[in-house]
Amino acid sequence: MKYAFYPGCVSRGGCPELYPSAVKVAQKLEVELEELKDVGCTGAGVLPQYLSDPINARTFAKAEGLGLPIMTICSTCQGVMAQANYRLKSDPAYREKINREYLAEEGLEYRGTTEVKHLLWILFEDYGLDRLKSLIRRPLKGLKVSPFYGCFLRRPPEAITPTKELSRRKNYLDELIEILGADLVDISGKGKCCGFPILTASEENSLAMVAKHTGESKEKGADCMVTPCPLCHLNLDGNQPRAQAVRGEKIDLPIIHLPQFVGLALGFDPEEMQLKRHIVSTRVVESRVEMLA
Amino acid sequence: MQITFKVYRKDPEGNGKPGRSEYTVDLSDDATVMDGLLKIRDELDGTLAFRASCLRGYCGECTMRISGKSTFACTAKVSAFTKKGPEIALDPIRNIPVIKDLVFDWDAFLWNKIKAVKPWLEPREGPANEEHRLPDAVMKDLRQVMSCYYCGLCDEGCTVLPVDFDFLGPAALTKAYRVAFDPRDRDGKERLRIAEQPKGVWDCVHCFEASEHCPRGIAPTERIVALRDKAFQMGISHEKVARHHQSFAASVKESGWVDEGRLAVESEGLTNIKGLMKLLPTAAKALVRGKAPLPYVHSKRPGADRIKKIFEKGERERK
Repeated sequence: MKYAFYPGCVSRGGCPELYPSAVKVAQKLEVELEELKDVGCTGAGVLPQYLSDPINARTFAKAEGLGLPIMTICSTCQGVMAQANYRLKSDPAYREKINREYLAEEGLEYRGTTEVKHLLWILFEDYGLDRLKSLIRRPLKGLKVSPFYGCFLRRPPEAITPTKELSRRKNYLDELIEILGADLVDISGKGKCCGFPILTASEENSLAMVAKHTGESKEKGADCMVTPCPLCHLNLDGNQPRAQAVRGEKIDLPIIHLPQFVGLALGFDPEEMQLKRHIVSTRVVESRVEMLA
Repeated sequence: MQITFKVYRKDPEGNGKPGRSEYTVDLSDDATVMDGLLKIRDELDGTLAFRASCLRGYCGECTMRISGKSTFACTAKVSAFTKKGPEIALDPIRNIPVIKDLVFDWDAFLWNKIKAVKPWLEPREGPANEEHRLPDAVMKDLRQVMSCYYCGLCDEGCTVLPVDFDFLGPAALTKAYRVAFDPRDRDGKERLRIAEQPKGVWDCVHCFEASEHCPRGIAPTERIVALRDKAFQMGISHEKVARHHQSFAASVKESGWVDEGRLAVESEGLTNIKGLMKLLPTAAKALVRGKAPLPYVHSKRPGADRIKKIFEKGERERK
């Protein structure tokens, strides 16, 4: 199994613990990664489409040239690229225009065949759950975990859950928590926004969302929350100390990246998954995992 | 079949404390939830309050939560909700104040917000003595937006309203789109200005919940994004958001990827000492945890020059 790896800006920027843990987990799973190095940021929903679609078309063309599907480790990268890919695949005239105006000069052409998949989807749809289960070395028994998807791993439907069968994607993280042996602590906002996109425009509301999601999870007895989106992580972890002030009480809920979570079940130690780099202390998770070792 | 409805009750004239009433009624196999409600009201409890009008899914009046799913009572078949047992819970939709039982406050939730976006056309001067005609493509887009029947499902799904009820919400902002994008209006800019005020388009997280919830395929999220793009184009936008977008675009243009350190500082504004001070505790913690190693370096990605060319070409064509 081999993928063109698109790590995204945040896994090497604000969440530098994400990139190495994803690479280690891929190695353990014997998933080969060829990193796309000379490609641009997806635009993250901030850049307008007239700029981000050509940039993403270029990324897809590079992967197509390698004959590989793309693997992402960020719900936002996944969502923005999936939406761009949907437009480029479903409208050949639009794709041709972008090829002609932006990619031809570099000798590139996007033919519309590249698949873009988040690691979470790859585990379920390509890798296979039986194979994954056979590699679990440390079932995370007794660890109480809430899922938090990130909007763009669930919506919009045409790009993310285009068929009835793929609507199961909306539940993958819930399923994975139980597959890895942990206890699922469901929360009402698991598919909602973390608040990150409005941190600039409306900080108060953004922090209120952090407080709402992490607070509910904590109240329901979770030890931690797991997310496939590093932007959610930036807000839920990085801004949790400030969100506590909104709520008026301590929350202290560790937020774990998806690859870290999988890595712990595969037998990696918390240190190898770089849990210590988080803003909210992950001590609770570490001590539970140590007890399981 | 015998179905038990467990219905949310709130009596504004009683002690005001919400509760739940249970009613068991006999219904045919193809009955809708509305059939059940009408039967309860006619035969068991005339005090139960709910809204109903067309009874065929045209009007959007009977929006409610049926065993947790937000939809219309008149088109929801009872059989779709009784697979696990003959019980159905009925609740008012979320994010909206309730007046009585399943009746929520349209004024607070929708009409006041719609009024706030000035939802009427101020006609610009058209051709003399004839209709002001529009190209079909423009009308096709607007017609889709005009098919909104204010059912409230987009606001019900909204991520922002539960933390800030003053947010205008997707339904009202979609109405703003309808007017701002109508070429017959002489002051689309005014509508954009209203929509970009605090509690307007910039408070939207573009999570696509509204689009997913909309039963008419109007795509409110995409409408809000279009309002933002247009506001940017016309040079009207939230000051801090504008700085954030400019910084984001500049770092991708120059290096191929986002410089998060620069983005945080430039979004606050280089002369905004108070704003910058606010970043310090998190920045200090990030340093201690090894999240942001020193010295802070943001290097160019290998394909950066190509990305820059895409920017230059795209920006040129946009002008």
